[in-house]
Amino acid sequence: MTRFLIINHIHNAQQSLQSSRVRSALTMLGVTIGVASVTAILALGGGAGQVINDQINKLGGNIAVIRPGATTNPINNITQPQNNQGYATSSLSKTDLEKLKEIKHIDLVAPLMTFGGTITADSPAPANTKILATTPELAGISNLKLREGQFLGSEIDENSAVVGQQLSVNIFGTESSIGSKMTIHGQTFIVVGVLKMLNNPINYNSIDFDNSVIINYSMGEKLYKNNAQIQQINVRSDSINNLDQVVRDINKVLLKNHDGEKDFSILVGDQISQPTNQLFFSIAGVTAAIAAISLFVGGIGIMNIMLVTVAERTREIGIRKALGASNTDILYQFLIESLAISIVGGIIGYIVGYVIAFIVSEFLVFSPVINWQVAVTAMLISIVMGTVFGLYPAIRAARSDPIESLNRHS
Amino acid sequence: MAITTKKTPVIKLRDLKKRFGIGDAETYALDGVDLTIKNGEFVAIMGPSGCGKTTLLNIIGLLDRSYFGQYELDEKPVDSISRRKQAFIRSKQIGYIFQNFNLVPRLNIIENVALPLTYSGIPRIKSLIEASEILKTFHLNEREYYMPHQLSGGQIQRVAIARALVNKPTIILADEPTGNLDSRSSHIIMEELAQLHKAGNTIIMVTHNANLTTYASRVITMLDGKIDTDSRDVIAKSEKTKSKRTKLKKTKKKLVIKKKRKKK
Repeated sequence: MTRFLIINHIHNAQQSLQSSRVRSALTMLGVTIGVASVTAILALGGGAGQVINDQINKLGGNIAVIRPGATTNPINNITQPQNNQGYATSSLSKTDLEKLKEIKHIDLVAPLMTFGGTITADSPAPANTKILATTPELAGISNLKLREGQFLGSEIDENSAVVGQQLSVNIFGTESSIGSKMTIHGQTFIVVGVLKMLNNPINYNSIDFDNSVIINYSMGEKLYKNNAQIQQINVRSDSINNLDQVVRDINKVLLKNHDGEKDFSILVGDQISQPTNQLFFSIAGVTAAIAAISLFVGGIGIMNIMLVTVAERTREIGIRKALGASNTDILYQFLIESLAISIVGGIIGYIVGYVIAFIVSEFLVFSPVINWQVAVTAMLISIVMGTVFGLYPAIRAARSDPIESLNRHS
Repeated sequence: MAITTKKTPVIKLRDLKKRFGIGDAETYALDGVDLTIKNGEFVAIMGPSGCGKTTLLNIIGLLDRSYFGQYELDEKPVDSISRRKQAFIRSKQIGYIFQNFNLVPRLNIIENVALPLTYSGIPRIKSLIEASEILKTFHLNEREYYMPHQLSGGQIQRVAIARALVNKPTIILADEPTGNLDSRSSHIIMEELAQLHKAGNTIIMVTHNANLTTYASRVITMLDGKIDTDSRDVIAKSEKTKSKRTKLKKTKKKLVIKKKRKKK
């Protein structure tokens, strides 16, 4: 008994939804809001990752990043922000740094040590200004360009500092601040260079270079009384082909140095690009909660409307059964109707989600990604909702007694 | 419409019982019905309200499964047929005509007529074409895209009959098909049914109207869930009584002759 009922069911669903437009539209709204939020989160999250990816690729793709702490599972990596200013002691130490420099095929190594603190200059620095202590190699690895002056170097004074362009304007009132003095932790620093405007607060170093001060690593250690906390070590291999070998060697060397305890993680490629921006995570978290609630409420809306529809059409179900419809036929008829609601709602939600994402991205430094994964996720959510919440009303319809249904005056 | 001259029994009911309610409220809508209906019969079932006519029709039409007793359809016990198969039999072999027409109000005329075809697995376009053809024979082809509420009662019942016939069923079940119609429309509907009967279909019709039984080949009256009279039995009985009477007459004649002889 091959059956060609699907087309009939779809036709039927279309008629039924058209006959009560307002009701269908309101039911769809729940799904639409839910799917729109999910789409917006995914599109923006993907966009943030894309930005970092592009940076890495631009730098040649031969960069590895070592962070303290063992890698947790990938889901945690996505959903939990990396804690860059944690209170815990970093597991990376200066000896690690020196051991790394001995590995073959490693071109450049730069430790990153960030800390906050008051910067005193002509005007006070904004509260969230970061002080970064690193080695001159960072300029090479992260491709930092200078607007004027020079980067840190061994040949110049230890008390030199490089400032971001925005910070320079904020604290000195000018973009050309070479020679100006500022005080950090009671130590006077002289500006030797101003960085070019980068305008990418999201990057794999988790540092907004436009708004930070870069000082020598040795000075950073001194300020912290030889108790430096290295948050990240950037490593560049001499060629992309040797990156795998380098990662294996780093792993070996560090394991030996840490007495076999794997309390560090080495990230390459896509792993680095997981968004690390704190703000992004809080927004995404709230939006995900809204999405989950609205999807659930939307689903209940579908179930509610489908129950009403089944009750309204009890007589029709009886007629259809008398004319030869099996229980399965009736089940599919109503299931396809609820699927129609959720899928149409989902498609609208997908479009609305992108509209929201693009509007939001106007205020951000990256644009949302458009890829098939987002589309498939939106579609899957709609289908699952339609099925899960449409199943009970459909089963009720299918199980109704034909004679009782026929005697119903509705 | 299959024309079969063989008079084989299509429907065979043995001691059929249907109970409503539990305990003190227990009543039997059907209380031991024995009935055999042969291929090509036009059976009219009569009786007062609540005597179980419609219940009987629902059981015959495979809509009601909760009964006691035996029901054989085409010499197969219905109990042994799966639900899905029963639905398929309903769509292929049985045509239902209801008192209150029971068209789906959301669907237009042609879609209503095409409904049984879709459930028997015929593609949409093809089923619409077939529906259109059968509507032509009922002179309703101009009304194909009307909605049910735009037609008159007689027209709607003709649509309902067209729908019942579109699958070319062998058994047609009609539950007071003229109950909601005026006498003129009733007459037209009954003529249609008579035509179908002539074409060889088995028709079982429930009715309150004694005038309509003239169209039927067999009339059954029901009372309190039992078959009260069956015209076939009456004929059979009357034939028996006839032969008895003739015997009596003959013996009387003989006696008279004997008496005459004695007088002589």
